[in-house]
Amino acid sequence: MELKTTVTIDAEKSVARVALSGALNTDTAPDFEQDLQKVIAGGHQLTVLDMKDLEYISSAGLRVIFKAAKQTKAAGHRLAAANRKPHIDKVFEILKALPDMAVFANDRELDDYLDAMQKQVRGG
Amino acid sequence: MSKSITTRLIVLLTLCSTLIIGIGLLVDYRLSRGEILERLRTESRDTVKSAIIDLENLLDGVEGSTLFLARILEQRDYTQPGLKQMLKDIVENNEDIYGATIALNPERVDNPLGFAPYYHHKDGILTYADLASRQYDYHSQAWYTDTVTAGKPIWVEPYYDEGGGEILMTTFAVPVYRVDGQGDRFLYAVVTADLALGELHRYLQRLRLGESGFATMLSRTGIILSGKNPANIMRHYSEAHSDELDSSTWREMFSSALAGQAVTHRLECPEIYGRCVIRMDTLQSTGWPVAVIYSEKEILAPLREFQTKSVVLGLFTLLLMALAVYFVTRRLTRPLTALAQASDDIARGELSTPLPSARGDDEVARLVRSFTAMKKDLKSYIADLEAATANRSRVEGELAAASEIQMSMLPQGGEAIEQFEEYALWAKVRPAKSVGGDLYSYYRSGRQLFIAVGDVSDKGVPAALFMAKAISLIQQLTAAQIEPSPAMAQLNNDLEAGNDNCMFVTLFLGVLDLDNLQLRFASAGHTPPSLLRAGTVEVLEQDDGPALGLATDLDYPGNTVQLEAGDRLAIYTDGIDEAFNEKAQMFGFDRFNDCLAQTGPAPLAVAGPNIFAAIDRHAGTTPQSDDISLMLLQLATATPGPATNSNKVSVTGVDKVSTAGVNKKSASFQRGVRLIGPVQDWLQQMLENFGVAEEHHMVFALIAEEIVTNIDKYGELPAGGIIDISVEASAARVTLEFRDEGVAFNPLQDAQRATLGADIESAEIGGLGVHLVTQLTDEQFYHRIDGHNVLRVTKLLQDV
Repeated sequence: MELKTTVTIDAEKSVARVALSGALNTDTAPDFEQDLQKVIAGGHQLTVLDMKDLEYISSAGLRVIFKAAKQTKAAGHRLAAANRKPHIDKVFEILKALPDMAVFANDRELDDYLDAMQKQVRGG
Repeated sequence: MSKSITTRLIVLLTLCSTLIIGIGLLVDYRLSRGEILERLRTESRDTVKSAIIDLENLLDGVEGSTLFLARILEQRDYTQPGLKQMLKDIVENNEDIYGATIALNPERVDNPLGFAPYYHHKDGILTYADLASRQYDYHSQAWYTDTVTAGKPIWVEPYYDEGGGEILMTTFAVPVYRVDGQGDRFLYAVVTADLALGELHRYLQRLRLGESGFATMLSRTGIILSGKNPANIMRHYSEAHSDELDSSTWREMFSSALAGQAVTHRLECPEIYGRCVIRMDTLQSTGWPVAVIYSEKEILAPLREFQTKSVVLGLFTLLLMALAVYFVTRRLTRPLTALAQASDDIARGELSTPLPSARGDDEVARLVRSFTAMKKDLKSYIADLEAATANRSRVEGELAAASEIQMSMLPQGGEAIEQFEEYALWAKVRPAKSVGGDLYSYYRSGRQLFIAVGDVSDKGVPAALFMAKAISLIQQLTAAQIEPSPAMAQLNNDLEAGNDNCMFVTLFLGVLDLDNLQLRFASAGHTPPSLLRAGTVEVLEQDDGPALGLATDLDYPGNTVQLEAGDRLAIYTDGIDEAFNEKAQMFGFDRFNDCLAQTGPAPLAVAGPNIFAAIDRHAGTTPQSDDISLMLLQLATATPGPATNSNKVSVTGVDKVSTAGVNKKSASFQRGVRLIGPVQDWLQQMLENFGVAEEHHMVFALIAEEIVTNIDKYGELPAGGIIDISVEASAARVTLEFRDEGVAFNPLQDAQRATLGADIESAEIGGLGVHLVTQLTDEQFYHRIDGHNVLRVTKLLQDV
C-alpha cells in the first residue's frame, strides 16, 4: 500500500495541514519524511497531521513524526496529530509518543484549539 | 486412694506403724494392767491388815494395863487411898485409856455401897468420880455383873456410861480373886479400863481406802461401834440404815467373821460410786468384826490413769509417726514430683525447663541425672535435626535450580513440540529425581533432521553432570552435521576422556533426510526404536555398538531404514520398558508397543502425554525408579516438494491440516528494494485463507514489518539473502516464524529499548520496533539453530 500526502497551508492562521492517506511504513517513510521536512521548514505556528485516511503506521513512520515533533518544539512551534483511527492510536500509545504532541481526537477539537490559539495571538 | 505415690506412702506407712505401735501398746497395757491390779489389791489388803494390827495394839495395851493392875491386886493389899492413887497413876499415864476403876466387891467392904473410885479423861482433864453411889449402884451395872458371871476377863458390850464416864464406851473388865484364910477363893474386886468408842472410831477413820471408802466395826453381838453414819452407832447392824447390803448378806458375812474367817464381797454400791468391795475381818482380842468398804473404781484409779496415759501416748506417738512419715516421704518424692512436672514441660517441647537438682546417689538422683542427660541429648538432637533440615532444604533448592538449568539444556526445556510441513516432533524427559541423566536433542539443517535420545547410567546428580557433558558434545557434533556412525565414535572418545567414574551413556543418534525419508542412525547400546506404520508397530532392527564412555576407539555400525509418509517413530529410554509396578512387573516392550499402536492418528501433543499416562497407570503407587524419555517423530502423510527460489517471492509448502490441527504456510523472501510490501501482501493473503478475522490483519502486518525491517537493516545478509517466514494459525492463536541466515542476533535481548516518549530518537537499533512487537504479541521465542536466527512470535486472538 502506498502513501498519498496532501498539504494545505493557511498562511493567515500560520497553520499547515498535512493529510495522510494509505500506509506510513518502512517503504513509504523516507518519501514522507522529505515532504514533512519541507512543510516544517515553512515555519508555521502549527502543523497538523490529519490522519483521517491513514490506515497503517509502523515504527519507521512514527520515527519521522517524532523527529518532526522535536524540531517544531525546538523552534517554538507545535506539531499536532488529529483524527487517529483506534489501531493507529494504539501504536502511539504503546510507544508513549504523546507528551510532545498536541493530540486531537477529531476536527472539532482541532478547530476549537485553533480558535483558542487565534484569540491568544490577538490578545497577546 | 489418691494415685500420688506420696499419699500412698504416707497412708500405707502410717497404717503399718499404727498397727505395730497399737499392738505394742496393747500388749504393754495388758501386762501392766495385771501388775497394777495385783499391786492395788495387795495394797488394799495390807491397808486393812495394818489398821487391824493398830487396833489390836490399842486393845492389847488396854488389856495389858488392866491385867497388870488386876495381878497386883490379887497379891497385895492397899489402903483405899493407895488404891485411888494407883488408879489415878494408871489413867493419867495411859492416853488410850479413857477411864479406869477398881470396883471392890461390896460384900467385902465396910461401906454397903462398896468402894469404886473412877478416874477418867473427861474433856481431856483427868477427873475423879466415885461410882459407889446409890444412883450408879455399880455392882448392878452390866460391866460388873457380866464379868462376875464370866469369872474371867471380858470385853463388855459397848454402852453409854451414865453417871460414870458419860460417853459411849466399851470396857475391859478383869475379876480379881483372892483366897481367904480358910482357903476359899473369893471375888475381891473387878478392875476395868474404858475405851471410848470415839477413840476406836478415830482409829478406824485412818482405815480409809479411796475418796469414798470407809470402815465399820461391830461388836460380837452385832452392835455397830464405828461407821460412816454416826447415827447408826450403837444400833444393831440389822437395824442400821444401809442401801448397799441386804441383811442376809450382812448376817452371812457377820457369822463368817465371828468364826474367824476373813471374807470379801463385791457388790454394786450406788452410794459410793459404782462397784465396791466389802472386806470383813475380825479383831483377835475382842472378836469384833471389822469391815472395810471401798470403791473398786477409786482404788483402780491409778490403773485408769495408766490407761489414759497409754492411749494419749499412743495417739501422740502415732501423730509424730505420721508427721515423720509425711515429711520423709515428701522429702524423698519431692524431686520425683518436680521431675514429673518438668518432664510434662519437656514433652510440650519446652526444653529449657530446669530439672530439679539431684543430690546424693539414690534412685531419684540417678533418674534426675538420666533425665538431664536425655534433655541434653534431645536438645542437641533437635538442633542437629534443624541443621540437617535447613541443609536439606538448601540442597533441595539447589537441586531445583539445577533441574531448571538441566532442562534448559534440552530443546524447549525438557518438553518439546515442533510442527513442520514434513514432520512433527514431540519429546519429553522426566527425571526420577530432581535431576536426571536422560537427554534428547534435535536439530534441523536444511533438509536434514538430526535427532538424538540418550540415557546416562545411574540417576541423580552424577548422571545429570555427565548428561550435561554428553549433550554439549552431541549438540556440537550434530551442528557439525557429522554422520551418526563417525559422530558416535568421536562422542565415545570424548566421553571416555577423564571418565574415571566409568559413567556411560546409551545413545540413539539419527539423521532423517527429509527429501527421501531415509533414516540413517547409529546406536550405542540403546533400546531399538519402535515404528508405527499403518496401525502396526514393529521394532527397528539395529546393528549397535557398546555404550559410550567406557573404552576408546570403538566402531559404531551405521544403520539405514527407509521411512514412509505417515510413519510414526518412537525413540525412548529403558526407564519406560523397565517401569515397575507394585507387583515388581515391568512395563515391558510389548506393553509399550501396544500403547504406541493405540495412539493411532492422534496428534503428537496428545499421543505423547497418553503414553506417559499409561506408564503411570502401570506403576501405580510405585515411585518412578529411573528417568523416562520419549521422542515421537511423525512424518507427514504427503511428501513436501523441495524448496525453490523465485525472483522475488517464492512460496513453499502446501496448505495442510497437521496432526496438531493448525493451518500453516511458509514463504521465502529475497532482500530487495521494496521488501515490506510483498511480505505484507502475502501475509494478508494467508490470514484471509486461514480465516483470521480482518480486524487482526493490520497488527500482523505491523509485526511482520517491524521484524523484517530489523532483519533487513541489522542482519548483514548478503544482497539477495533469504528470509523465511511461516505463519501458523488456529482459531485461538497466530504464530509467525522468521528465519534468516544473518549474524546471530537476539532482538528480544540485544535490542536496546528506547527510553520511550521524551527522547525517542535515542533508541538504539531496532528498539522501537521490538518494543512494538513485544507489546503486540503474547509469546516471543528466539533460537539460534543451524546458523539461523529463528524468531517465533505468537498472538492470542481472544485478547483482541
